Amino acid sequence: MASVKIRNVEKNYGSLRVIHGVSIDVEDHEFVVLVGPSGCGKSTLLRMIAGLETISGGDIMIGDKVVNDIAPRDRDIAMVFQNYALYPHMSIFDNMGFSLKLRKRPRSEIEEKVMEAADILNLKPYLERSPGQLSGGQRQRVAMGRALVRDARVFLFDEPLSNLDAKLRVVMRTEIKALHQRLQTTSVYVTHDQIEAMTMADRIVVMNAGRVEQVGAPLELYDSPANLFVAGFLGSPSMNFIKGRFRRAGDGAHVLCDDGTVLPVPATSGATDDQQVVAGIRPEHLRLAGEGAGVAATVDVVEPTGANIELFVELAGERVCAVFRERHPFRPGEKIALGWELDKIHLFDASSGHRI
Amino acid sequence: MPSKLKKSLIYWAFLSPLVVVILFPFAVMLVTAVRPRDELFVYPPRWGFSEFRWDNFAEMWVKTNFGEALFNSLYVSVLSTVLALVLSIPAAYALSRYPFPGKGAYRTFLLMTQMMSPIVLVLGLFRLMVALGMVGNLNSLVLTYAAFNMAFTIWMLQSYFSTIPRDLEEAAWIDGASHLNSLIRIFLPLAVPAMAVTAIFSFINGWNEFVLALTMIRSSDDFTLPVQIYSQVAGRYQVEWHHVMAGTVLATVPVAIVFSWLQKYLIRGMALGAVK
Amino acid sequence: MKSLNGFKPLAMILPGLLLAMFIIGYPVLDLANTSLQEVSRFGQLRGFTGFDNFAEVFSDPLFWGSLKRTAIWTVTVVLGTLVISLPIAIILNDDFYGRGVARVIIMLPWAISLTMTAVVWRWALNGRAGLLNATLMDMGIMTEPIEWLAEAQLAFTVEMMIGILVSIPFTTTIFLGGLSSLPQDSYEASMVDGATRWDQFRYITLPLMKPFINIAIVLNVIYVFNSLPIIWVMTEGGPANGTDILVTYLYKLAFRFGQLGKASAISLIMFGVLLLFTVIYVVLVMRDEKDTAAGEDE
Repeated sequence: MASVKIRNVEKNYGSLRVIHGVSIDVEDHEFVVLVGPSGCGKSTLLRMIAGLETISGGDIMIGDKVVNDIAPRDRDIAMVFQNYALYPHMSIFDNMGFSLKLRKRPRSEIEEKVMEAADILNLKPYLERSPGQLSGGQRQRVAMGRALVRDARVFLFDEPLSNLDAKLRVVMRTEIKALHQRLQTTSVYVTHDQIEAMTMADRIVVMNAGRVEQVGAPLELYDSPANLFVAGFLGSPSMNFIKGRFRRAGDGAHVLCDDGTVLPVPATSGATDDQQVVAGIRPEHLRLAGEGAGVAATVDVVEPTGANIELFVELAGERVCAVFRERHPFRPGEKIALGWELDKIHLFDASSGHRI
Repeated sequence: MPSKLKKSLIYWAFLSPLVVVILFPFAVMLVTAVRPRDELFVYPPRWGFSEFRWDNFAEMWVKTNFGEALFNSLYVSVLSTVLALVLSIPAAYALSRYPFPGKGAYRTFLLMTQMMSPIVLVLGLFRLMVALGMVGNLNSLVLTYAAFNMAFTIWMLQSYFSTIPRDLEEAAWIDGASHLNSLIRIFLPLAVPAMAVTAIFSFINGWNEFVLALTMIRSSDDFTLPVQIYSQVAGRYQVEWHHVMAGTVLATVPVAIVFSWLQKYLIRGMALGAVK
Repeated sequence: MKSLNGFKPLAMILPGLLLAMFIIGYPVLDLANTSLQEVSRFGQLRGFTGFDNFAEVFSDPLFWGSLKRTAIWTVTVVLGTLVISLPIAIILNDDFYGRGVARVIIMLPWAISLTMTAVVWRWALNGRAGLLNATLMDMGIMTEPIEWLAEAQLAFTVEMMIGILVSIPFTTTIFLGGLSSLPQDSYEASMVDGATRWDQFRYITLPLMKPFINIAIVLNVIYVFNSLPIIWVMTEGGPANGTDILVTYLYKLAFRFGQLGKASAISLIMFGVLLLFTVIYVVLVMRDEKDTAAGEDE
């Protein structure tokens, strides 16, 4: 096992810069997820760790060694590819044992290791088949098995679940997490799916447009996002944002929206009077307010998911989502009032997007 | 990136012997075509010559009846290509769009005719043309070239046709177009590049064919270019090499240029399954 | 409506099918018929003689000589072509400065008819004034010009080398098509798995290229086996039948010596051999398609 240190790494394609001086430390045994929208540079960064892309600037260290100019085969890493990248002409056994064969390990050792990995991943009945004969989920397991056999110092995952159907994705997510808990191999996992990031990561790195937006433990990021991007990216349905001006009035404080709606916010906020802000509140933190209290809203669309009701309302001229566990009989057009705990509200500076 | 430069140098060093051998005949052709006649046979043989004799081309044109052979080659290549395409386009469309009984057998038949070389059947083909009274007639070449080319053109076309999404035609049907209408308005315009490329390769095949032309054509007035140039060389005591080379330059360079421009389409067509 | 749907595609393939069957089918039947009859120089059939024509062919030492040279010609040209084309295709498939130019040059011989190529080489190899002699003498490799085409063994060797040269473009094209279809991520995965470039070639490129190599072999065997112009234009099978292969011998019998019965018999024998190669090819193609189809089912 080893740590991975990324120091001011840049990537240019000609004059186009796709990664702008990114620094990330992955501790030994840690499971770090790089998450961001497509094109944010997360896969490129992963491929740079693997050695499949050249590094335009900065350093990448695995263990204590700078690996910038070291070929992938000498980095002692294992990688699970998005499309699995199984060798189409080899049996499952040969696919999994290929790296050991290249290292000229004795046949008995290869067999032992492949069997061990196949056992963990329930692949034993398929070892003589070719990749073309397996289902998507089985192929995904083979790709994992190929990495497991290696005893590599670092595992790299490049959106490994994105080609699976929704149900299987959830199953494999849990399996990968369980596997990591057992093996404790340092892992870097790339995904665009924030749920995968939240559920699997020891720490999440949120990336956007070639830059790191925030690094931290999943709940830390969820509870105190550093900026509007992170706030909006993590969580589903995503956080509601309402623009307005910050006002202090006596002991309290509120945000005054353009249409005159007043949103109560905590007075402890560091915002200055009359500052243009964006108030953010997560759908699950909205609740029905009692008679004469709360902020007026008009029901727009009601979406029962079974476990919850997702309610879309118009509030202060914005479309706002609220999630309820209780099965209220809402009707489109109905006037309701919504309230929230003051400490559940997030305030961001409207121009910079930073958390206040 | 310096490593790419290094790689390029190594690659070119590896390729250079072959490149030299490929370009050598072109150099021979050009250098001989513009050489004065009395400098053809000098001892010791040498590349250099005293002056560029561009008149060789004009002389050659008149003396060897080049214009007529050029016309014959064009006639045979164009007509055989048109005939092959007219018959191939519907067949390729049927192959790429419809299931039909005997499709597998038909594909096997195509593969087998693609492999059939005229040379093995040349005697039978000659006797066929005798029976049809078409020996010495350029149309005998049109028919045989078209027949032997069709397997290739159908393969090429159907592999391209298969890449044109069916949805487009289906969308047109739903928008209210008849099958014929969607074929003409949607499919054919999209297929034009494929048809053009296929046509050009069929043309080049006809342009370059030798054995059948040598066999079927009796009168020198009806010679196609390869046979005409061959006849300048074969069985002659005195070969006017500067004329022969001027003729090969005129007959090959235009085709070589068009081909060079189009070769990437051929590679693509093969990748798509003309060979697979 | 259903029967109409079945009929339409048949109607679409029928005209072409009829032409091909007529132009290719008639000669085959005619050759079969002719080969079993006594035939005059002018093509009149004079009645069945059983397998006399075949017997005559098999007792003809020139046939056996041509057959032997056909085998040497085919094997040498095909093997030589494959050995040169595979590395060339791998190079051309990689990205390097001047790749476009290199591709065009390597493909050039394909654009030019074999007849023209052979005519130019015949002149370039001219014993007195040929520019190959000029080049080699300029470079000091030899002092006296060589008569390249006057002696059968040397002439045949030169012809085989030209045969290789003109077969390279087509073969390289097949390989390029194959290489471009190889899964790129297999190469990346193998880099992570610890493969060197040689490992990648041995364990990934070569096995995955096998179907393309097989097809290149079969197609080249068929083309080279049938190739007349190079030998015909350069030496007409001479001197003293020393460079004759089956096709040139067949052509001479049919159109020089008027031995039509014997020529028909040789045609049929060659047709049989060709059919065998073709069946191998069809089996290879169909097997390949089945594999792809099976892979796509997933």
